[in-house]
Amino acid sequence: MKIKRYKRVSSTNTLVKKLKPEPWLVVLAQEQTAGYGRKKNYWFSPKGGLYFSIILPKSTIDDLQTLTLLAAFVVAKVIKERFKVEPFIKLPNDVYLNQKKIAGILTETVVGSDVKFSIMGIGLNTNIDTFPKELENIATSLKIELGKRIDNEKVLKEIVKYIKKQLKTISE
Amino acid sequence: MKLKLNIKGKEYTVEIQETDRDTVKIRVQGEEFVFKQKKEEEKVLVAKSSLPKRDFKEKRIKAPIAGIISEVFVKEKDVIKKGKKVILLSAMKMENEIISDFEGRVKKVSVKKDQKVKEGDILIVLE
Repeated sequence: MKIKRYKRVSSTNTLVKKLKPEPWLVVLAQEQTAGYGRKKNYWFSPKGGLYFSIILPKSTIDDLQTLTLLAAFVVAKVIKERFKVEPFIKLPNDVYLNQKKIAGILTETVVGSDVKFSIMGIGLNTNIDTFPKELENIATSLKIELGKRIDNEKVLKEIVKYIKKQLKTISE
Repeated sequence: MKLKLNIKGKEYTVEIQETDRDTVKIRVQGEEFVFKQKKEEEKVLVAKSSLPKRDFKEKRIKAPIAGIISEVFVKEKDVIKKGKKVILLSAMKMENEIISDFEGRVKKVSVKKDQKVKEGDILIVLE
């Protein structure tokens, strides 16, 4: 698994769009200064969280759509199995834990007559100790819920592994 | 003899050369045609095959997937190049930047921001 690591980026999705489209390349950042979700909604991304984007291989737009919908299940599955918790998926693409948002996924594609480029960005609140006042009732982190530090690297690798597997299954 | 011809707004470089008494060589845009005198059918051939076909058809940019128009980046009469981002289409959690695979002038923008579209709906017409 090839991972490009950055300390601080505006957003991993923004950065990855400027790179050569190398399938399955992962861009990982310790913090994002302008993390965003759908409709450019702000994603709180301080140090401690897990923020990464994956360059997806050339696929049809229908397969990418299916993969996007399955990505929330992948994130929920990894959290559930690894930490023995009961995450809740809010369709299409948010993962909640104890009624608070813990992860968000945003897939972006560039499409002409076919798909030129597609990336999947995932933000997972792992080791975030506190949230700003406006978010503390709607967002949480694994550290807050479990009371322990999470190994971001292991969680990242597991999520990417499952996403790869899912895309393979979809496109077969 | 070298000359430039303007046919329907496109410029062609034509080179005419007499190789011997009854043979004429004509080069159009680098492509060579040889004519012998009094061979009518070969002249017809040049007229048909040497002029590149131009596509006067309208070009349509369609929705690749069902979703909602988040943003429209072009307006009517804009001249756009191939690869230009024209529309942002949101489909569930997927944001799709629709780029133009053609160059041309925007004849019509068929959608507005926040409009729902189905797969295959025409978004933009170019001419």
